[in-house]
Formats: sequence, structure tokens, C-alpha cells
Amino acid sequence: MMPASLNAYIFISVALFAIGLLGVLLRRNTLIVFMCLEMMLVASTLALVAFSRFNGTMDGNVFVFFILTVAAAEVAVGLAIIVALFRRRQTIQLDQLNTLKN
Amino acid sequence: MTMLATAVILLLLPLISAAIIALFLRRSGAAASAVATLTAAAIAVGSLILALQRERFEVAHEWLRLGSFALSIGLKFDDLAALMLTIVGVVGLCVHVFSLGYMHDDAFRARYFGGLAIFMFSMLGIVFADNLFMMFIFWELVGFSSWLLINHYMNRTSAADAAKKAFIANRVGDFGFLLGIVWCYAQFGTTQFTELAKLADGGAVIATGLPLLLFCGAVGKSAQLPLHVWLPDAMEGPTPVSALIHAATMVAAGIYMLCRIHVLMVPDALTVIMWTGTATALYAALCAITQSDIKKVLAYSTLSQLGFMVAAFGLGSISENHVENGSSHVHVYAVGLGAAMFHLTTHAFFKALMFLGSGSVIHGCHHEQDIFKMGGLSKKMPLTFITFTIGVLAIIGLPGLAGFFSKDAILFLALIKNKTVFAVLAITAILTSFYMVRMWKLVFLGAPRSTAAEHAHEGGLTLTAPLVTLAILSVVGGYSWFYTKIFGGAFDDVIDLVPQAHGSDHIIVLVTSLAVVLIGAVSALVLYASAPTDALARKIPALFGALLALKGGFDRAYDYYVIKIQQRGAMLLNFFEQIFLAGLIIRGLAGVVGLCGLGARALHVGNANVYAYWFLLGAVVLWSFAVGVLTF
Amino acid sequence: MTIGQILFNLFALFTLVMAAGVVLNKNAVNAALCLLLCLVGVAGLFVGLNAYLLAFLLLLVYAGAIVALFLFIVMLLDTRGDARPTLNRLPLVARILATGLVLGGVASFIQRGRLVSPDMAGTIGVGAALKPYAYQLFTTYLLPVQILGFLLLIAMLGVIVLSKKFVGLEDIK
Repeated sequence: MMPASLNAYIFISVALFAIGLLGVLLRRNTLIVFMCLEMMLVASTLALVAFSRFNGTMDGNVFVFFILTVAAAEVAVGLAIIVALFRRRQTIQLDQLNTLKN
Repeated sequence: MTMLATAVILLLLPLISAAIIALFLRRSGAAASAVATLTAAAIAVGSLILALQRERFEVAHEWLRLGSFALSIGLKFDDLAALMLTIVGVVGLCVHVFSLGYMHDDAFRARYFGGLAIFMFSMLGIVFADNLFMMFIFWELVGFSSWLLINHYMNRTSAADAAKKAFIANRVGDFGFLLGIVWCYAQFGTTQFTELAKLADGGAVIATGLPLLLFCGAVGKSAQLPLHVWLPDAMEGPTPVSALIHAATMVAAGIYMLCRIHVLMVPDALTVIMWTGTATALYAALCAITQSDIKKVLAYSTLSQLGFMVAAFGLGSISENHVENGSSHVHVYAVGLGAAMFHLTTHAFFKALMFLGSGSVIHGCHHEQDIFKMGGLSKKMPLTFITFTIGVLAIIGLPGLAGFFSKDAILFLALIKNKTVFAVLAITAILTSFYMVRMWKLVFLGAPRSTAAEHAHEGGLTLTAPLVTLAILSVVGGYSWFYTKIFGGAFDDVIDLVPQAHGSDHIIVLVTSLAVVLIGAVSALVLYASAPTDALARKIPALFGALLALKGGFDRAYDYYVIKIQQRGAMLLNFFEQIFLAGLIIRGLAGVVGLCGLGARALHVGNANVYAYWFLLGAVVLWSFAVGVLTF
Repeated sequence: MTIGQILFNLFALFTLVMAAGVVLNKNAVNAALCLLLCLVGVAGLFVGLNAYLLAFLLLLVYAGAIVALFLFIVMLLDTRGDARPTLNRLPLVARILATGLVLGGVASFIQRGRLVSPDMAGTIGVGAALKPYAYQLFTTYLLPVQILGFLLLIAMLGVIVLSKKFVGLEDIK
């Protein structure tokens, strides 16, 4: 079975990454920004799996394992931070969270 | 247990005890003093065991290797080391025991005894060292412990200054020493004493500068002209420290080092060493006359006696023709070494005795050190009086006491080698007997001249027992049967080298030494009465002033050098440093970074979203490089 | 066009559309559901790459755990009523510029980033079985596995600390 070329997979991966990046840049809701970040991670795993498959090696696949684990940890901590932030400031809008400067 | 193991344990024991004191016993002075004193006792016993059994050994172990340069530590235990080890062990034990009483009320006793333990470790390291590098390491450690102990009363500015002065003056000498060691290594490829001796016997050519640079170390440590300035000031330390470090052992390390490397000594270098020693002997004796502090008198007398030793060493070897089985061959005897070490030994005993005696006096007089405020102590402190008198008689060379024999050996050597040196040393001996009797009379005879002296009292057993021990040693330490019978000839390699006067020379030396003792002693007894001011200053003020100026001359010269020359040089360097380093490089960098910081602060708006935009910008720039849109 | 290609195209399109849905949805709940579907699409692409195990893991960990967590938090915070005026809003120009830059980057990537595609049929899909993963994880990547375990532990501790309510800490502002 030969569904698609390597370039096609990489293109999907890049597109997914770009959409995620746009979400990070344009959205103001911290939760959605966070989801978009996760999407960017998934995009990178797609590229890794594709490389692994087309080269016949295992390394890319194993790295996906690690990325999944790190993503799980990251989501847990990130969401905890968001909850703590919301408790404190009653908002999760990014442009309200400007105490870094003032 | 083999003797080698004993030696290693002996070397490490004081280090362990210092570590224990420094780590666990800093607050408990009693425990610290017990640990240190027990260590000293163990060292004394161990050193006697090592000396008395006749096994002599030498081992070396590679310590670290840097390319082709190998640094080894090793133990060289021959008769010379055995003699020095015995001196260090016995005098060290006496001083430790004395310190138990003397320092009993000191709040920082633990630090003091820890310092003594470190000193013992360093000194033993010098004694055992089998090469110059190892000796240098322990040489510096000795300097450090000396600094530590001079600085014991560190809330006194004078003590802190004296410690610094001692350390810095030693550094000057040690710099030359280090250069000499490096030169020695560069030329011979080794600094091991035994191998150096082999090379020198094999006829290796030695430049005059090499032994002279090594001699620089001895000039610093043994306080010879012109680096002698630190020793009188070092009397700021506790008196037992002065006895152990600044009279008996550490300052003698310079002589010991010279004896270790005597194979490298070429005639020109020996001449320089001889004159340095002679000049120091005379100069210090002149200075001692004007001193009013009991410890300062002893310090200058130490300087003078060290000058004797250095001069004796510098007088060098004599060669004798031996006719055996019809063929004659020349034997060279390093008699200078023998005379120097012999005098070092007897001096260690009687000078430690006198310092501890002065400590007993100071302790009895409630820390009064001015001899013009003492007087009449012979009745208050009879035991101290007797032992101190033995010390004085020993140093001025009264026949029958230790100093007589060793001083005679030196005078005899001077007589056959160099008449000028003989004359100078004889004059010095007159002065020695003059200032010693002066001090002795002012301290012990007459009536008390202050309330402190009136209420003087003898110290406890810990103060008197070491005095008695050292007094006995000061008497017997000069007789050859002491070394051949009691020690069973353990130091023969050294003692056999002591020159023996015979024939007409013997009579000249004997008459001279008797004459100098009498001239000096009688004039001092006549000149000085029990008075609160210096008789010499009253009767011949011009002479007194001249002697004072002589004493202060070096200090003034160094002050002038430091303030006018060195300080200005330092200010000039500081100026350049401010302009170029601080101004252009450091401030310049800081300025650039500061500007960058200003710019970066403008970018920092505090909105988290904006940072994502900066991130994007960075990614764009990176991608531009990757695809070649942007290139450098 | 084989059935595989058809499936690939379908899954790719589905993934991208759902991804766009995440970005464009006003409602956070809907965005989270879009993310879930997007992940399902990616899992489908994984299957096309013979990485069955990873596809399952992606569904289990991401779709099952992470997205559920997201939904949970969205419900918990309930930010629909937040209608405060936005401060310090980025100018429209910046947004357009950024979008343009990202799209330009993708275009430039498609144009230049062409790789020599190996023949997929010629290589064996090594990611299908479980055994090679276990073998790799416990030989070559043993140290990273341990470090990750430690990272998870730290993350757990961090979450516990973060979600704890500290009495009296509210005054510090």
C-alpha cells in the first residue's frame, strides 16, 4: 500500500503546525492558546512518524513516546497554572495578564 | 611495625590532631590542649625511637605527574634528619607542656593548640623531606603556621602587623628559593637530595647563582640580613610560640635546608653565605644592647646566633691529607655543616630554655615585658632564676655548658679558615655576653622596680618542668659523650663532622672565648645597676642613639622603599588599570550591555501575546538563514 | 487512486479542517471538541504509516486524557461571561502581518523543502509491532525513560503544589 509520499506527510505536518502557530498568535483565550500549542506538538510527532516510516528506523517512533509523555506532564502543569491564575485574577484572557510589566 | 611506618605515622599524627582540633574542638580549649600535647608527647617518643634505632632509610613515592615533570614525596631519614627530628620532638614537647600552663587562661586556647599541631606537622615535613619541592611545600606550611601563631592576639594591631610582616618578608626569600628550585630542576632534572649529591660528586658544574638562590630561602626563614626585620616583630606572638618557632626550630630550618643541599655549595656561594652570617651576627648583637623588652633582647640574640650558624656553614669544608699504606689521599670534611648543626642543637636547647624562662617571668609578672620594670626576681622565682641563669651561661659560652662547645667549634673553624671572620665573631661573642648579662642582671638582681615585679610568683609544674628539662639539656648538650653514649652514636654522621680544636689553635680559641665571656660579662655587671632607665643611655647617649639608629635603619629603609617607591609604582599601575582595564574594557562592555538592556526593556511590554510575536520574528529570521534569503 | 490514497487525502483534509476549527471557534468547549477530532485525524494518518501502536496511544493519551482534562477545565472556569473590555489590544496590522508571515513561511517551505521521498513499499514498517518499541526503550533510550519518569514525578508534585490553596497568601500582591 502506498498512500502518499513523504512530502505529502511533511506538508500536512507543516500545515498543522502553522495553524497551531496562528492560533497561538491570534487567540486571546489562554485555554485555546494552550490547545493550539498541543496541536503544534502533535504536528511534530506526525513528521517524526513519517520520517521513521520512510527510513525504516525506530528512532522517530520512540521519540513520539517521549513527546507524548512530556506533553502529558506539560498539560497537567499548564492547566494547574491556568486554574491558579484564574483563582487569583478571575480571568484567563491573555491581554489582561500583563503584570509582567507593571 | 617497621621504622618507615613509624616515620609516616609520626608525620601524619600532628596533621590528624590539627584536623580534630579544627573540626571538633574549637570551643573546648581543655580538650584541644590535651589532644595537642598528647600528640607532641607521641612525637617526642617516636622521634627518640626513630633516632635510637640505627635504621636509616629513604623512600620516594610519585605524587603527581605533569607531562615529563614528576613530583614525588618521600622520606629521607639519615643522621641529619634524626638529629633535627629529635630537637623538634623534644623542644616541641617542652613547649607544649609549657603552653598548658602559660595559655591556661586564654580564651582562644583551641586555636592556639591547633596552630601548634599544624606547625609540628609542617616542621616534621621539612625534616623528612627528601626533595626540594616537598621541602618547599612544608616550608610554606611552616610560614603559614608561623603567621597563624604570631597572629594569635589578633585584636592587637601590632600582632596583626607583625604576622603580615613575617609572612611578607618570608615571601621575598621564598621567591628566590622557588627560583632556585626551578633552576635546580631545569639543570639536573631532579631535586632529590640523594641524587643531587650523586650528581655533584660526579663533578656536575654548578653555577654560583643556584646555591645563592636557594640560600635566599634560608635568608628569609632564618632571618638573615637583610630580611631579618620580621623576627623581632614576631615576638608579638605568645611566648611559647617564640620559643618553639622563632628560636628553636622554624628559624633553624634555614640552616637545616642549607645542610641538606651542602653538596651544591660552590666556594663563591659559601663566601657570600659566610659574610651574610657574620654580618647578621654582629648587627643583631649590636641591636640587642639597646632593647628593653625581654623578648626583643632574646629575639636579637636569636638573630645573632643564627648568624653564627650561617657563618659556620659558610666557612665550609676542610680537607686533610691522610697517609694510609704509603699512599696519601685527600679527605674533605664538611666541618662547616657539623659546626652549624652542632650549634643549632645546643642553641635550640638553651634558647628555648631562655624563651620559656622569659615566658615564666612574663607570666609571673602579669604580662610585664619591660626589663626595666622587673628586678629582684631571683628571690620570687628561684627555679626560673636558676634555669634561666644556666641558659644565659650557656649562650655566653661559659666553659662546661653546651654553648661553650658549639661556639668554640665555630670559632676554631673561623680561626683556621678566615681570621677576619674570627675577629668579628669574637667581638660578637663579647657583645653576646654583654647584653645577656645586662638582661639577666636587670631582671633577676637588685630590687623590684614595679608592683608587678613585687608580686611575681613562680608558675605551676607545667611551667617549671620544661624549664628543668631544657636546663639539663643545655648543660649536657655540648658534651660528645651525650651523643655517643646516651644516643649510642645515633647522629655520628653529623657529630663526627664537628671540628675539634687541637694544639696551639686549641689554646688560642680557649683563651679567646674565656676572654670574651669575661670582658662582656664584667663590663655589663659594672655598667648596669638596678635602675629604671638604661645606664648606657644615661652615660654614653651618643653610642646608645647610634645603636638605636642602627636598629631602626632597616625598618626606615624598608618603609621608605614601600612608601616612596613601591606605593608609587602601585599607584601608577592602579591608574593604568583604572584607565585601560576598568575604563575601556570593563566599563565599555558594561556600557554596551546597558544600551542593549535599554533597547530590550522597550520591547518588554508585559503582554504575553507579544512575546509570541517576537518568537515568530525569530523563527522567520532563522528560516531566512536556512533558505538563504538572509546571508552574512 | 488507490484506497490508501483516498483515505490519506480524507484524513489529511479532516485533520486540517478540524485544526482550523480549533483556532477559529469562539467557544472553548467547541474548540476542545475540534481538537479531539483533529487528533483522531492524526491517528488515522498514523495508521496509514503502519504506526498502529502510536495511533492507539495518541487516542488514549491525547484524546482520552488530555482533551478530557481540557474540557474539564473549560467547564470549571466557565469563562463565557467574561466580557471585560480588552486592554492593550494588538493592532490589526500586527495580526495580519503575523498571519502573512506564517503563511509565507509555509509557502516557502512547500516550495523549497522538497525531500527525496524514499519508496514506502521498499522499506519495512518497523513501527507496527510492540516489541521493537520495548527493545529500544529499554536499551538505547533507557536513560531518557528514567529521566521522563522523574519529570512526571516532578510534574505531579508541581501540580499538587499549584492547586493547593495557601491560606494567607492572597494578601501578597
